[in-house]
Order: sequence, then structure tokens, then C-alpha cells
Amino acid sequence: MDHSLYNTHVKLLAFDLLTLSQTSSPSSSSDPVSFSRNGALLSRAETVGTVTSRDLKPNKFLRFTIDDGTGCVNCILWLNQLSSPYFSRRNPADVRLIAQTAQHFAAEIKLGVVARVRGKITSYRGVTQITALDVVVERDPNVEILHWLDCMRLARKVYNVVPPYK
Amino acid sequence: MTSSEIKSGALVSLQDLHPSSSYFKQGASLRVTGKLQEYSVETAIATIIDGSDSFKINTQHLRELSFRVGSVYQFIGELLIQPDNEAVLQARVGRNVDGIDLNLYYQSLQLLRQFQAHHLKNPAT
Repeated sequence: MDHSLYNTHVKLLAFDLLTLSQTSSPSSSSDPVSFSRNGALLSRAETVGTVTSRDLKPNKFLRFTIDDGTGCVNCILWLNQLSSPYFSRRNPADVRLIAQTAQHFAAEIKLGVVARVRGKITSYRGVTQITALDVVVERDPNVEILHWLDCMRLARKVYNVVPPYK
Repeated sequence: MTSSEIKSGALVSLQDLHPSSSYFKQGASLRVTGKLQEYSVETAIATIIDGSDSFKINTQHLRELSFRVGSVYQFIGELLIQPDNEAVLQARVGRNVDGIDLNLYYQSLQLLRQFQAHHLKNPAT
């Protein structure tokens, strides 16, 4: 499996992201599924589109949907940093900052806005989704078009090019 | 309501929305773009135009959007075809897209359709 794109936020259109190959790895329970496209292992993605649903569970999470015109990507933004044991061993000042940033992102994500979301590719009930780490609300109405063109160019010139076997 | 039930609005031009088009189906989820020509506060029906084509949008669910005649708007919603074959988009979301380059938008849309058709025939995964 090729690792050259593993730490890159790959820009994929929704229909492409939703058809990534999912492979279960029973040896690791904390990260049970890995994702690949065209033989390249992927872990991060970037999507741009209109927010068409938002379901907030205060201090737990915000689930939302990004519609880029080719499909809908489900996204999850965790808001449980102050109560989760996962963060309890980390520096409290850092955790507060992470929690504040997540709260700020959650407030920005409103129905109808165009958002750029970067994060980890994860899976929920078998459907590929993005665990959001970074959210930007876009105000220029042309950014979605530029994102489509970026996705198509990158697929043709980079992601579809199978690297030589090493 | 779970987000997996939400359908993606297919990107269409107003020109695509004639009764013989493959997009012209009851309940189809669509995304349309056009300049606001008319808006009625009483009925919440907006009429958008693009060149010589016009289309009606029911905006009753979009309470936070302010409507300005002459501005360009984009809506995502479901197509409701009435018995007289007149269609209205029941908008779920909408936004003002003043400043959008519509030529670039429609050209990119053609490329996107070709890319998607090619990809579906030759899956990369």
C-alpha cells in the first residue's frame, strides 16, 4: 500500500470520498478501519460545500452535512473535550483552548453557509465521514467552483497516478 | 432526522429544468442558481431568472435570508411538480451569491459532469 498521501488532506469530491475502500484491521481496536483510494492509503480529507443539516448535542458533538453538489459528506465535530477522559491527561490550558476552538467552529456552522472542513477520515455505521479538526466558513461565492476544479486536477494529476512499486 | 437521509442537490442550470429533462422529476433534489426577479412576502415565492429562463422557489422555510431583487441566489431543495406541470423548488437552504462568476460556474459544471461520468465508469478504488 502506498503511504505518500497518508498525511495529506486530500481534496476529494463527495462522491469520490464516499466510495473509498474501507479495510478493517482487527488488530487495532482504537482505529478499526483504514481508507484507501487507487492503492493509496488515506487518513485526512478536505471538503467544501453547503451545510444542509446540523444536529447539536451541547458539550458532546455537532453532526452536520456538507453538500458539494456531487454528494453529501457527514461530518462530526467533537465538543466533549472538557469531559472526555481522552483529554484528561493533557495540559488543562491546552484542552480549554481546543474546546473553545471547537465551540467557535460549531457556532459558525449554520444551515446554508458554505464551509471548508478538514479532518480525519472516519467511518460511522459503515459510511465514510469526516471528523472535523478545522472549519472555515467561506464568503467568496466562487470558492466552491475553485474547489471542484482543484479536486478534478488533483485526481487526474496526483491521486490517480499510481506510484512505482518500491 | 438523521443526516444520512439528506439528499445531495444535483447541480443544474435553469435551462436544464424543462419537462423533458432527466432532472425534471417529482421530489428530485436540486441546486439552482439565478438572479432574483420577484419576491412575494405573502406567499414567500421567489422567482429567479437566468437569461431567458425563469424558475419559482418556495422560500417559506428560509426565514433568515433577506431577499433583494437583482441579487443572485442559490437554493437547494426538492422539486414539486404541480398538476399543470409547473414546477416549484421547495427550498431547504438558500444563500446570496452576489459576485459569483456564472460563466465559470456553468463551464465547471460541464467539466464536473464529465469527470463524474468518467470516474463512475473507471472507479479509482
